[in-house]
Amino acid sequence: MSSIDYSRELSVIEGKPALREIDDLIAKPLETKPNIKFFIGLGITLTMLAIGVIAIGLSFYYGTGLWGNNNPVGWGFPIVNFVFWVGIGHAGTLISAILFLLRQKWRNGIARFAEGMTIFAVMTALIFPLIHVGRPWLAGYLMPYPNQHSLWVNFTSPLLWDVFAVSTYFTVSFIFWYVGLIPDFAVLRDRTKTKIKKAIYSVFSLGWRNSNRHWQHYEMVYLVLAGFATPLVLSVHTIVSFDFAVSILPGWHTTIFPPYFVAGAVFSGFAMVQNVLIVIRKVFNYEHIITIDTLEKMNKIIVLTGTLVGYAYAMEFFIAWYSGVQAEQFTFVNRAFGPYAWAYWIMITCNVVFPQLFWSKKIRRSIPVMFVIAVFVNVGMWFERFVITVTSLSRDFLPSSWAYYTPTLTDFGILIGSFGFFFTFVLLFSKTLPVVSIAEVKAVVDGSQPSHEGH
Amino acid sequence: MSEHNTNIEYTHRGIPPVLSRVSSALLLIGILVAIISYLTDPVRSAFNNIVLLMLLTSVGVGSLFLIGIEYLAGAVWSTPFRRVFEFLASVVLVIPVIAIPVYLNVHSVYHWSHTDAVAADKILSGKEPYLNETFFLIRLIAYFVVWIVFYFIFTSNSKKQDKTKDQKLTKRNIRFSALFMPLFALTLTFSAIDFLMSLEPHWFSTIFGVYFFAGTVLASLAAGTFLVIMFVQKGYFIKGIIKDHYYSFGALLFAFINFWAYIAFSQYMLIWYANLPEETFWFINKWEGSWMYFSIFLIITHFLVPYFALLSQPSKMNEKRLKFMSIWILFAHIIDLYWLVLPTFNPEGFVFSWNEIGFIILGLGLILTMFNWKARKENIIPIGDPKLKRGLDFRL
Repeated sequence: MSSIDYSRELSVIEGKPALREIDDLIAKPLETKPNIKFFIGLGITLTMLAIGVIAIGLSFYYGTGLWGNNNPVGWGFPIVNFVFWVGIGHAGTLISAILFLLRQKWRNGIARFAEGMTIFAVMTALIFPLIHVGRPWLAGYLMPYPNQHSLWVNFTSPLLWDVFAVSTYFTVSFIFWYVGLIPDFAVLRDRTKTKIKKAIYSVFSLGWRNSNRHWQHYEMVYLVLAGFATPLVLSVHTIVSFDFAVSILPGWHTTIFPPYFVAGAVFSGFAMVQNVLIVIRKVFNYEHIITIDTLEKMNKIIVLTGTLVGYAYAMEFFIAWYSGVQAEQFTFVNRAFGPYAWAYWIMITCNVVFPQLFWSKKIRRSIPVMFVIAVFVNVGMWFERFVITVTSLSRDFLPSSWAYYTPTLTDFGILIGSFGFFFTFVLLFSKTLPVVSIAEVKAVVDGSQPSHEGH
Repeated sequence: MSEHNTNIEYTHRGIPPVLSRVSSALLLIGILVAIISYLTDPVRSAFNNIVLLMLLTSVGVGSLFLIGIEYLAGAVWSTPFRRVFEFLASVVLVIPVIAIPVYLNVHSVYHWSHTDAVAADKILSGKEPYLNETFFLIRLIAYFVVWIVFYFIFTSNSKKQDKTKDQKLTKRNIRFSALFMPLFALTLTFSAIDFLMSLEPHWFSTIFGVYFFAGTVLASLAAGTFLVIMFVQKGYFIKGIIKDHYYSFGALLFAFINFWAYIAFSQYMLIWYANLPEETFWFINKWEGSWMYFSIFLIITHFLVPYFALLSQPSKMNEKRLKFMSIWILFAHIIDLYWLVLPTFNPEGFVFSWNEIGFIILGLGLILTMFNWKARKENIIPIGDPKLKRGLDFRL
C-alpha cells in the first residue's frame, strides 16, 4: 500500500498496447457474429420488454385504473420511474463532460458507454410521462407554438420546464455522443471489408480523414459541447426536483432539493454504469482498458455522492425539526416510523450505509463486492424517489383522506418493461457501435503524451 | 520507494516588502477602527464582527478544504500552490479570538438568546434545545477544535516533507483529508446555521449550508489566486509557472461563481414560488427600503460581472484579469456576508459607514498578517512533495 509512488503518473491503460491492438480489440465485437450468450441476454431483455408492452397495452385498453394511483396518491410509479431513469442518465454526462473539463484521463475508457447509457436512460424515462398523461398522441401540445385554438401550455409549471430541460439534454447528449463517434466511424470504415458496412460507416464518419485540421475542429467542438452539457446535467435534475419542491407539500418543499437531486442522480447513474461496465470489460476482454483503478475511482465517486445524499437526508430531518412547523415535523417522523418505514429504511441502508464500505480500499477494488453494492445503490435510489413521492402524498393535510398506496401488477409490469427497454438498447449498442472510444483511448496510452521523462 | 528524487531549484525569499507594509497598515487601522466602533456603537459592531468572523472562516476553513481536496483527488496542477493555501489556512488560529466579542454580545445580535422572548414564542421555545447559549458555546468550541487540529495535521506533515521527502507523509495527509471532509461539511454547515441563519431564528432553509459553502470556496480560492499571481509576478515564487497553471484557478473561480448563483437561485426560486410566509419574510427583509438596491447589487457583483469577466478561455489564463477578478470576488463574498447579516441590524435600509469599512480592513489585515507570518519563514513551495515536479510540468 505504501508503495504508491506519487511522483509518477499512474497508467490509465495497462500494458501499453500498440495502437493496432486497440483498433482490433474494440472493433472485434462489431466484426464477429454475436454468440449464443448474446442471444440469451437479448431474449431475456426482450421478454422483459414484452411484459412492459403488454402492461402498457392493457393500461391503454382498460385505462389507468389498472395502476395503483388513486386519491390521495396521484403520483405513484410513473413519476418514481421517470425520476429514477432520468437520474440514471446523469452519470453519462458527468463522465463525458464534467470529467473531461476536469481533465480526468481515466474517463476516456468509460465515457462512450456511459454516454450511450445516458441516451437510453432518457429514452426510457420519457415512456413514463408519455403514458401518464393518458393521451400520448396529444403530447405534441407540450411544445408551445402559436395555434388557432389559442391553446398555450402552462409556462409556470415545472412539468413543462421538464419538457424543455429533458429535450435539450437529450439533444445535446446525442450530438456530443455522435461527435465523439465520428473518428471511430472512420476507423471502422477503413477496416471493414463488406460494401454495405463501408457505405454506412462512410456516411456516418462525415468524410473524416484524420487530418490535423479535422482534429483541431473536433477538439474545439468537443470542448464547447462539454461546456454546454455541464450546466445541462445540473439543470435537468434541478428541474425534476422543482416538480416536487415548488409545491407546498411538506417533504417536497425544501430548498436543498436541487443539489440533492443532482447528487442522487449522479450517484445512481454511476452505480448503473459501474454494474454494466463490470460485465462488458469481462465479456469483451477490456480489463486493461477499463482497469480496476478506473473502477476504484468510480467507487470513490459513488461514496462521495452517496455521502452527499446522506447529508441531504440529515439536513432535511434536522431542518424539519428546527423549522418548528408541525406539518414538516410530522412528515419526517412519518417517513421514518410511519406505514412506509420499511421503504425509508431500505433507502437509508442502501444509499447511506452500504456505500460507506467503499472507504476501504480493499472493498473499492473487489469486483464482486462493488457489484453488489452498486446494485444496492440502484435499489436504494429507486426507493428514495418512492419515499419522496408516496409518503408525502399518502398522508397529506387532511387525515380523513389518508390512504396507503399499493402498486398493482400492471405497475410492476411497466417497471420491468422499462428495464427491458433500457437493456435491449444497451445490448444492441454493444454489438453495433464501438463501446469504448478508440481515439480517446489511444490518447491516454502511456507514451502518447509528450513529457519530460520520456515515457 | 518512500523517497523520490527531485531536483527543484528554489530559494526561499520571504515576502515582498510591500505586502508586509500593507498588511501591518491594514491590521493597525482595522484594530483601531474596530475598537472605536465597539466603544461608540457596540451593537452595530457586533453585527459587523459576525461578517468579519465569517469572512475569516471562509478563507481559513475554505483553504483547509482546498488542501484536502487536492490530496483526495490526487491533483497535481495545484501542488506548487498548496503552501499558499496552507498559509492562508493559518487564519483559523485567530477565528476563536474574533468569535469572543460575538459571544460576549450574543444578547444584542441573537434574538434567541433572550430566554424571556423564547418562552413567549412557541416556535422559538421548540428550538430551545438547539438554540441556547450553552449549546451554542459548546458547538463553537467544537468547530474551532476541528479546524485547528486539522490545520496542524495538514501543515505539519507537509512541512516535515520539505526535509524528509517522505512519501508516507502524503499518504498520511490523504487519510486525514478523507477524515476531514465529512467533518468539514458538518462544521461548516452548522457554523453557517449558528452564526448566520439563527440571526433570524424563525427562518429555515435546508440549502443554507451549501450556500455558505459555495461562498467559502470562492473566498479562499480568490485569496489564494491573488497571492499566487502576486508572488509569481514579484519573483518570490518558483520559476516555471506559466499560463497553463493559472487556467485552473480561472476555471475553478468561474465554476464556483456559477455554483453560487445556482444555489442562490434555487433557494430564492423555491421560497418565492411556494410563497409560504414562514420562509418568505427572510427575502422580503432583504427587499425593503434601500435593501432592494443592495440585493440587486449583490446579483451584479457576485454573479453577472465575474461570469462575463471569466467566461472566455483566454480570460481564465490572463494574469491581469485573474488578479483583478480574484480581488473582486473576495469583495463580492464580503458583500454577500453583509447581505446575510446586516438586514437584521437595520431592517429599514442598508447602512454603510466607517464601522463597516473598519471591520473589512481588519479582516483583510488579519488574513494578510497571518499569511505573512507563515510565508516569511517557511518555504512557499512544498519542495519535498512527490507531486511537485509533476505539478510544475503541468500543461493543459
